[in-house]
Amino acid sequence: MAESLSPECTPLKMKYDSCFNSWFEGYLEPAVAARPEERAAYSKKKAEEFQRNCGKIWEEYKSCVQKAVKDKGLDKLLQQAREENPLKEPPTGSSPPPTSK
Amino acid sequence: MHFFSQSFQYEHPWSHVVIGMWRKYPNPKCTHVVSVDVMDRSVHPETGIVRTERLFRCKQKAPAWIIKVFGGSEDAYVREISFVDPATQNTTITSVNLSLSQFATCYEVVQYTPLTPNRTNFHQTAEIQARLALWRSAADGLEKWLVQRFEHNAQLGKTAFTDVLRTLWEERQAQSVIV
Repeated sequence: MAESLSPECTPLKMKYDSCFNSWFEGYLEPAVAARPEERAAYSKKKAEEFQRNCGKIWEEYKSCVQKAVKDKGLDKLLQQAREENPLKEPPTGSSPPPTSK
Repeated sequence: MHFFSQSFQYEHPWSHVVIGMWRKYPNPKCTHVVSVDVMDRSVHPETGIVRTERLFRCKQKAPAWIIKVFGGSEDAYVREISFVDPATQNTTITSVNLSLSQFATCYEVVQYTPLTPNRTNFHQTAEIQARLALWRSAADGLEKWLVQRFEHNAQLGKTAFTDVLRTLWEERQAQSVIV
């Protein structure tokens, strides 16, 4: 697994990545196989399980990396990119959103 | 604006490709990717779509003049948003550069979709676009400055030559009076 932006966050990042990967590897195939009527219940159960398993390490890693992002002056660039293209839903086309600039 | 697109097939099931996606880096063949961080992640409690926002730091080998002119650095940052939808077996990954984004954007979309139970299609497009409005306003500003400089210098030139002529002919006139 790749390093973090800031060396001090790398151990937290490694722990978080391992937690996510083992959750995801158990999640994906049953999620693909789930029948439409089972999907919501399965998704809810697994979303809760992810939060339960990885929520704590995520909070630790997040606060470390957010500080690193700020220290490097990237927070404004990231915020600007988020405002320009929030991407809260999967994109429908392959084109970027129109920009005002 | 420039476009790029390519397709490719991986001889692996879709789920294997998507699981592998999170383990792509570090990679000895992609040493330019120095760090990868998760900035945000959510699992939709109904659709089961996993959305991830990541931040990549890449060592770019930008030409020296680009770094000089645009004030960039050796590091380039990229924001990536991915959606893994188990219901439709669609994975869409969108990336955009954060560094130098005030001058140009590189917008990349990658999709992984199952082709057969053991083959996955990879489709990649990229759109590279300079921010024309910005170039235009920079060019406008430069033109205005040049016009001002020109007007100023033209004004100086005019008065300077007026002085030369006055001095010359006043002297000549004075001499002719004496003679």
